[in-house]
Amino acid sequence: MALLYLLAFGVVLTATLGLLASGLDRKVTARIQYRVGPPLWQPFIDIVKLLGKENLVPAGASKITFFGAPLVGFASVVLVSTLLWVNNLTPSHSFGGDLIVVLYLLAIPSISVMMGGFASRNPLASMGASREMKLILSYELPFILAVLVPVIKTGYAIRLGDLLGPQAQNGVVAGSLSGVLALGVAILCVQAKLGLVPFDVAEAETEIVSGPLVEYSGAAMALCKLTKSMLLFVLLFFLMTLFMGGLRWNGMHLVYGLLKFVGLLAVVIVIRNTNPRVRIDQAVRFFWGRVAVWAVVAVVLAFLGK
Amino acid sequence: MTRDEVLNDLRARFAGDILDLVEKSPKRVYIEIRVESIRDVALFLFKDLGGRFNTASGVDGRSQMEILYHFTLEDINLLISLRVRLEKPNLEVESLAPLFEAANWVEREIHELLGINFKGHPDLRRLLLPDDWPRGVYPLRQDYREWDPEAIRDRGV
Amino acid sequence: MGLKLAALLKSLWVFHLSTGSCNNCDIEVLDCLTPRFDVERFGILLVGSIKHADVLLVTGSANRKSMQRVKRLYEQVPKPCLVVAIGECALSRGMFIHSYNCPLPVDRIIPVDVYIPGCPPKPEAIIAGVLKLTAKVKGRAR
Repeated sequence: MALLYLLAFGVVLTATLGLLASGLDRKVTARIQYRVGPPLWQPFIDIVKLLGKENLVPAGASKITFFGAPLVGFASVVLVSTLLWVNNLTPSHSFGGDLIVVLYLLAIPSISVMMGGFASRNPLASMGASREMKLILSYELPFILAVLVPVIKTGYAIRLGDLLGPQAQNGVVAGSLSGVLALGVAILCVQAKLGLVPFDVAEAETEIVSGPLVEYSGAAMALCKLTKSMLLFVLLFFLMTLFMGGLRWNGMHLVYGLLKFVGLLAVVIVIRNTNPRVRIDQAVRFFWGRVAVWAVVAVVLAFLGK
Repeated sequence: MTRDEVLNDLRARFAGDILDLVEKSPKRVYIEIRVESIRDVALFLFKDLGGRFNTASGVDGRSQMEILYHFTLEDINLLISLRVRLEKPNLEVESLAPLFEAANWVEREIHELLGINFKGHPDLRRLLLPDDWPRGVYPLRQDYREWDPEAIRDRGV
Repeated sequence: MGLKLAALLKSLWVFHLSTGSCNNCDIEVLDCLTPRFDVERFGILLVGSIKHADVLLVTGSANRKSMQRVKRLYEQVPKPCLVVAIGECALSRGMFIHSYNCPLPVDRIIPVDVYIPGCPPKPEAIIAGVLKLTAKVKGRAR
């Protein structure tokens, strides 16, 4: 049952790596703030603890949406990670158009957070969810434009597997000018998608009460946190596949893959720790203004062959 | 107007109302006035002299209650406190809330904690005490006694 | 000791509940999260929502108005939940013991597990109290 095998691969391995990545994030953040942080396996303990707590549903909230939203988000992240692992391990197994499927599926976790927020029957959750909605509308365009650049540079390939071959031969996409620009734009969009500072206006704006997740407790909250950690891993893996040639399984390239991932994670963490949080209107203006312009410039440069 | 000019003007204008004027320090003056004339003096201090109404404080003595209204004249660095003595058991004074809005909540608080009635106050209801506090029990009076049978007043040591 | 309890003790999410305090104890609690005392190395996080909390840090003497709210909040915390009373006012109302507005100490309203005395207690005392809490829960489970 190749499918089941790969799903377990996609769930278990991605969950482990994702939780380790977010544990590394907390540790590095603590070190930057000149303190000792939690141990690296702290997110595992958090998830286990949350599974042991009571599940409370607010009165009047719709149970189906309330519990269904984290499930939908989790399912879409698992599917994306399965597709990415398949394409990196055996590039010949990709099907036509799976890049577009991945882009659609990557929009779903944010939408599920929004759904959960609206289903909570809490004014703070609704406010957080409406901010998340505005943020989604603003960063999707630059993200898609940034993803267009590796497609153009590797000879108009829409299959994920076909993106890896030309990169192995001609050099990674991030080596060219348009590639670097597109990688920068994509990292900013990933920062917003993950809900990290400076764009965590949806989740932690009402910093005293955490946005759309305010009414979640117990197993549903564990699923939300797990989805977020897995999304951290999956998005950086996606960027690695698009811009840096993915993961290759022969010898030294495995170490290179690990270094690429850790490098991207380090960039995300450093941006997270050195910036203040921006307001929602500043974030929307930023994405529709400067970031979209840079993305268009990158696409034009890619067309011209640079 | 300097400080002395202000005080002499007050002495002249309200000669019949002022019972006592104590100059405690260069910055503080206590003026004791009759109960009926609080409104005129307060209006004069607020409107004509441009004083700022800070707050009002209530004190429960043995046979009388006092209310002190504090006004600040910031230009000349002077704090004037108007003292009004109310004899028990008729604890009534005219309300200053129709004159300036700042006195509204202050008088509500004095009413619910000391039991002084303010005549002419537009909205004399509870401000700080919870809703299920019994009526007619005023906590800051000298003769307040514990009425709650469920209260625990020892540390258990 | 079961897995559930072991995981709970290694990752306590703290919610800070002030029932009418002078805010001095609250400042000392926030001091614990600063780099000097860094209580996050034990896995302790400050959360904003009561539904995410494992430990309620109660400060302040509960006056009549906040008594009702404290009871409702305690019902809203997902169990298992621990309660820590910080400061003299939360232990036994401190200097407000004869006040007209504070009839009951906090531990007659909600069950309290650990008491941390002090006015305000130093962050070292608060950290020692948290460690006593973990020891007590482990001992009770045995």
